[in-house]
Amino acid sequence: MISTRRAVALRRGVAFIALLVVWESLSRFGVLDPFYLPAPSVVGQVMFMLAADGELWPHLGATAVAAFAGLLVGLGLGIGLGFAAALVPTLAELLEPVMILLNAIPRVILAPLFVIWLGIGLASKLALATILVTVLIFFAVFNGIKEVDQRLVERIRTLGGTRRTLIREVYVPSVTTWVMGSFKVAVGFAFTGAVVGEFVASSRGLGYLLQFAQSTYNAALTIALIIIIMAFVLLLFAGSERLERRLLRWKFGHSA
Amino acid sequence: MLHVRGLSVGYGGDPVLENIDLELPAGQFASLIGPSGSGKTSVLRVVTNLLRPLSGSVTLDVPVRDVGFLFQDDALLPWRTVRENVALGLGIRHVPNAEADATIEYWLNRLGLDGYGDRYPAQLSGGQRKRVALGQVLALKPKLLLMDEPFASLDAIVRTRITQELLEWVDREHLTVLLVTHDLEEAISASDVIHVLGHGPRATIRARHPVEIPRPRDVLETRQHPTFGPLLRRLWDDLTMEDAGSVMKR
Repeated sequence: MISTRRAVALRRGVAFIALLVVWESLSRFGVLDPFYLPAPSVVGQVMFMLAADGELWPHLGATAVAAFAGLLVGLGLGIGLGFAAALVPTLAELLEPVMILLNAIPRVILAPLFVIWLGIGLASKLALATILVTVLIFFAVFNGIKEVDQRLVERIRTLGGTRRTLIREVYVPSVTTWVMGSFKVAVGFAFTGAVVGEFVASSRGLGYLLQFAQSTYNAALTIALIIIIMAFVLLLFAGSERLERRLLRWKFGHSA
Repeated sequence: MLHVRGLSVGYGGDPVLENIDLELPAGQFASLIGPSGSGKTSVLRVVTNLLRPLSGSVTLDVPVRDVGFLFQDDALLPWRTVRENVALGLGIRHVPNAEADATIEYWLNRLGLDGYGDRYPAQLSGGQRKRVALGQVLALKPKLLLMDEPFASLDAIVRTRITQELLEWVDREHLTVLLVTHDLEEAISASDVIHVLGHGPRATIRARHPVEIPRPRDVLETRQHPTFGPLLRRLWDDLTMEDAGSVMKR
């Protein structure tokens, strides 16, 4: 008997293939203008060419490096600042309004400023990815600590635990839950920062290729790049999910 | 073992508890009963330094590290396995590994948790979680045990069984216990003396009743003892008079 999950996957697969068939047919019969919407076979051909002639890999590598570096630095900064603000009220008074402001604006508007300050190299992409991730993780950690289960805090205190014990046994695991809840979004944000940064000004990366495709009105290359970016992010999502299951394995056990 | 004198506790506004005096000699099992919101739990929280009193004093004949506190909720760390939860206090007190391991295995075995050591709290039943919490506290060999309605959420059978096991342990180790409970029958079955707290705000201890049932006890059989019924009646009257008084006050 097919499990529900498999049945859903099967239905989705069939729907996706049906969409491709309809799209391909409409293109071949001239209903869709290939200038705006080239056939999936053409898009696939572009993707194959990009991979086969090796042009894709340095650009994908550049974007991946900027995104991963931004993710790591953003996680570090977000966790550090979140912890500091939650544990030192004076720091929270200073940091919270800045983070709220940064959270309220579309942070990608900072991209041109980073290009002016840091140039068109890796640094400006890293900065944009970092700021996108930092703000998200800051609030995950800050709220995670503020909303920590007070019964657990009291439990540790009655067992004779110090502040260090509290941080190790309650705050860090509790915050890990919150951070992992935002981790997939953070991965997406890091990639957004890297690609948008490259799109604004750069000499390599998927964002640069996208900018090139757009300026030459190459719809097939644009769609191919969008699919490649989506596939890469989905791959990272799958990795994030595995990491989440590993770090939060206590949550995924069966209840008694 | 525990001396509470002139204790007043408040959370802003009128004090919840006022001028509480309570003496708990070594080896005594005492219960504190009272209407909801009368501040029973606050007494335990002051003793364990979780709450600062408005006035009065709490003196212990043992260091505060020898006080074990069993909460109403399990308060187990959800990200720690059963074994790690039992080990928590031992780790905090830097008990050597070999000794800690032996203690953990002893308590897992004694509490019927063999084979559950690697499970997480979410994978246990309510009764099993309560046993883990009990093991966590008893593994530290407390001399004074404070319990805040620890078995209130359990069904009658599990509750009776755990209470019986706990009583046997208390008798064997000559533990001093202060139990906060709503359950009058539980209070009589387990205690040497029952303190009745009045209605808050400004609640005080209104009555003290010794329990004249010899130890060791069987939780089920204590109900057959000739003093059980009359004492239950007196406690009931104390509490209903308190309720009536509270309604009149309103």
